[in-house]
Amino acid sequence: MAVETASRGPAAETGETVEGGEPSFRPSPIGWLARGIVWAAIAWLVLIFPLGREAFELQRYSEAVIFGIIGLSLNVLLGYVGQISLGHQAFVGIGAFTSAYIVTEQNLSFWVGVAAAVAVGGLQALVLGGVSLRITGLYFALVTLAYGLVAEKNIFQIQELTGGGLGQPAPKPKGFESDFRYYYLCLVFLAIVLWVDWRMMRTKSGRALLALRENPRVASTFGVNVRLLTLFAFVVSGAFAGLGGALLAHNDTRVSPETWSFNLALIFVIMTVVGGLRSRAGVVIGSAFFALIGYLLDKFTILQDGLNAIPGAPDLSPEIARLVIGPVLLLLTLTLTPGGIGQQIRPIVRWLTGHRFDLKDRGLKEVQISDVRA
Amino acid sequence: MDRLRERQGQVITAAVITLLVLVLLATGEKESLVIGVITGSAYGFLALGLVLIYKSSGVFNFAQGEFGTVAVYTLYLLHFDVPYGFALLGALGVAVLMGVVVERLVVRPLFDAPRVTLLVATAGVALLSIAVQIWFGEATARPVGRALPTLDRFTVLGVQISDQRLLLLGALAILAGLLAWFFNKTNLGLAILGSSQEPTATELMGISVKRLSTIVWALAALLGGLAGVLAVPETGGFAPGVLTVAFLIPAFTAAVLGGMTSLPGAFLGGVIVGVVEAVATSAPIFEDIPGSPGTLLVFVVLLIVLVARPQGLLGKAG
Repeated sequence: MAVETASRGPAAETGETVEGGEPSFRPSPIGWLARGIVWAAIAWLVLIFPLGREAFELQRYSEAVIFGIIGLSLNVLLGYVGQISLGHQAFVGIGAFTSAYIVTEQNLSFWVGVAAAVAVGGLQALVLGGVSLRITGLYFALVTLAYGLVAEKNIFQIQELTGGGLGQPAPKPKGFESDFRYYYLCLVFLAIVLWVDWRMMRTKSGRALLALRENPRVASTFGVNVRLLTLFAFVVSGAFAGLGGALLAHNDTRVSPETWSFNLALIFVIMTVVGGLRSRAGVVIGSAFFALIGYLLDKFTILQDGLNAIPGAPDLSPEIARLVIGPVLLLLTLTLTPGGIGQQIRPIVRWLTGHRFDLKDRGLKEVQISDVRA
Repeated sequence: MDRLRERQGQVITAAVITLLVLVLLATGEKESLVIGVITGSAYGFLALGLVLIYKSSGVFNFAQGEFGTVAVYTLYLLHFDVPYGFALLGALGVAVLMGVVVERLVVRPLFDAPRVTLLVATAGVALLSIAVQIWFGEATARPVGRALPTLDRFTVLGVQISDQRLLLLGALAILAGLLAWFFNKTNLGLAILGSSQEPTATELMGISVKRLSTIVWALAALLGGLAGVLAVPETGGFAPGVLTVAFLIPAFTAAVLGGMTSLPGAFLGGVIVGVVEAVATSAPIFEDIPGSPGTLLVFVVLLIVLVARPQGLLGKAG
């Protein structure tokens, strides 16, 4: 479990900030000490614990951090404006190939590659959204799904971009060749994304985004340009996804076309919903959990033994584990706890940021994926 | 005004079809026409299921393709041991069962939840189904039994087609007739139509909309299963999630062509999409598109319809 909590740190650091609450409450010195210890433990898990691990393990940790970025990318769209993208693997995948192409074929630096991936991600969203965002809700989901399929069947078949069947090599950047340095680099990027996301939601546009999710008609009556803002959120989401893709490419040092399938798009949606929409901490934890499912199964054989108890079931390989466990968790989340992990950990996050510990505070008004609009 | 709008839809439909046929004949793509009509009918059946569920539950059912894949898998597992007819019945039975289970375990608890939540849930069901197929089977493609072991060929419009395809066409024609009869003449069919148009009024007439919901999902699953067992053997083999990957988007495009509400429109849309895809695959002008040009063209059709005529070809505006 250590690994799962390892990814909790950066999310919690920028987690829920003070909203309403009781301004009069101040923790006692002992309370501060207790919080300090927990913070230190989280920092240790995220920063020190991975040190000296094997390359294979470090790559999984980096992947968990990158999945956090991708989860946040979907959260902007699904959580803030209530539009669902079932083709997010296309944005992430194209980001990955863009960066790999620029580094390998054009011999430019990693930083140019990442910048290009972010730009291409945003541009794609701008074009696709510009054409299709006059239709929203279910139809938009359908368009993104079809777009994902087009990416899979057409765009990823372009030999020059993808390097054919073997895939495109994507070497790690200079100065970050070692896996643990790259892990820290990913953490920095996650922190940047979290910061951008947090600042964005504090602006006037950010509040307008939330307003238009609640009720687009009311929002538009108050002068919110619904289409423009939805497009804006889509572009931000696409840019984050491009960044995630680029980082993913250089983490694996090779990108191949068949990675980016419909299944992956659904895993992205599932990890965001299970993580808890609009809860940054929850989304990052949920995403990291899905990135690490296979690894956790290898580490903790209890799960594997439990699954083997199902009669006639073959061994669950790490790759499939995520596909089997994901939908089950999704359906449980949707029917039982719509706020996902974010809702469950809310008391802890609130406590860590200097509030009273209140087990009943699940922020129910805040976290309802039910207000995703059709 | 309404009648004019309806006419407009019919005119557009007629124009699209005429144009398509003319282009086909002019370019000598007669084979694409026949193949397109046949695969398109399979899309049409999947689309019928989508429309039925959309009308009754108001949701896009992303698990619709999986009803077909599950049926194909069952057919594959059974056809070694039992005669084809029984294997087919078993396959359809399993598909219907899956439809009922999904309705009971997923749709009903989310009855009052917003539709996008339900959409995410059905996508989850699709992924779970694919995952279980990969888990218990292998990720590789495998051949599946054909309805007819013979490989006789017939000539239609100067194009050679296999007996399996002809059977598919025949089955689809009969089914289309049966469905039309079901929805226009039987009490159950009329009740389903009623509940999709006016749920409250239907309740007031003493019909349980919730009970109908189960029946609709079972019927949609049956249609999906039929599309699967009839169309997949023709493609030569199948892999986990085959109908979701290869059939779902064309079927949705077909349903959207029908405005998501019109049953004949959805079926017709399926045929149009099938023809477009067949032409894209075989016509030389699309050769330069990397990968499969059919996917791209279907996507373009979907976008055009959604942006230019969201109410579909035969649908009413509003």
